[in-house]
Amino acid sequence: MKFLPKKQKNKVEQLLYKNSKNSANSAFNRNDWNIYVVLPAYNESKTIKKVIEDLKNKNLNLIIIDDGSSDQTFEIARNAIYSINGSIYHHILNRGLGAALKTGIDAALKKNADIIVTFDADGQHHPEDIIPVCKPIIECKADFVIGTRNFEEMPNSKKFGNTAMNWLTQIFYDIHVNDSQSGLRAFNRKAARILDIRSRGYGVSSEIIGEIKNHDLKIGEVPIKTIYTDYSMTKGTNLKVGLKILFKLILNIVRKVLS
Amino acid sequence: MIFIYQIVGAIAGLLAIILAISRFKEGKITIGMLSLWILIWIGVIYVSLDPGATNLFASFVGIGRGLDVVIILGLFGCYYLVFKIYIMIESMEKEITELVREIAFQREDLKEMNNLKVEEKDKNLNKSK
Repeated sequence: MKFLPKKQKNKVEQLLYKNSKNSANSAFNRNDWNIYVVLPAYNESKTIKKVIEDLKNKNLNLIIIDDGSSDQTFEIARNAIYSINGSIYHHILNRGLGAALKTGIDAALKKNADIIVTFDADGQHHPEDIIPVCKPIIECKADFVIGTRNFEEMPNSKKFGNTAMNWLTQIFYDIHVNDSQSGLRAFNRKAARILDIRSRGYGVSSEIIGEIKNHDLKIGEVPIKTIYTDYSMTKGTNLKVGLKILFKLILNIVRKVLS
Repeated sequence: MIFIYQIVGAIAGLLAIILAISRFKEGKITIGMLSLWILIWIGVIYVSLDPGATNLFASFVGIGRGLDVVIILGLFGCYYLVFKIYIMIESMEKEITELVREIAFQREDLKEMNNLKVEEKDKNLNKSK
């Protein structure tokens, strides 16, 4: 594993790893680690089955959170998970990405997870990226790792929103990361326990980074590949979501000042 | 001379005080909120019956007309109330999320317990065979 030059910003050590083909097979034994993959899903009936089946072969524990989907996501996920090592939690009402992630992380902690990985259910991530993202935690070089997407390959509509969110994360949480909105992240147990997630919606991605920074935990960044399909393009951060997040961030500051 | 708007203002203020007291008796608002509302509505009644009183306050804070002061204060009051309602809704949303999460945990725990029971039954059946 080759290290890229360290980015020393805001006193947070950010390690950038080059993702090599051999990275998953190097010296550490990942079987010693209890890795849980948290899969929040809201109206993902088109992709959830394939995502679960792709993860099945990786010998990882799965935790699926159906966030009050109005389509068949819950039923499809329940049937797909039946034969494997996994649990499915069903929110009876849609509470947002942040709420679903918190449910998944709490559930993984209850099951004594050593490493908790969050993974999008829209099929944009490669399961092969999970172990490389966990590697800095296994090697005790980071407490929290972001799977960083390549912005050069990102479609323009997505690139704009994600770059703007990186700026907002820097302005409001005083920390620079290369992909604040990535859905593929890994936490060690310490980081997961410390997190106090309050955002219910997409603002959770920036909030998590802010929380990690506030607790002086080490952040790592590992490049990942992203699968862009017409379907995955309709999901995630867009201009409307970005504006909503900005509004919430400002209101949170006003609330803190007034209280 | 008393104008109609003064009578309407005073009656509205009185009704609002009665409503606030009845909500306090039902336990829907705290004594602090009751006191705040009574103060606000007494102010409205007073200003309705004696609009000239606002001029005194206006000259004190340096705003030209008494009515302007009332409007500015009213606007600030509205903004404060909107913010207060936002905080309340946020807190309710948080409680709903916690409830939804708890239900999800309980359902999954129940399912896992049932699965364990079925596994145990199967084991016992196999042993007896």
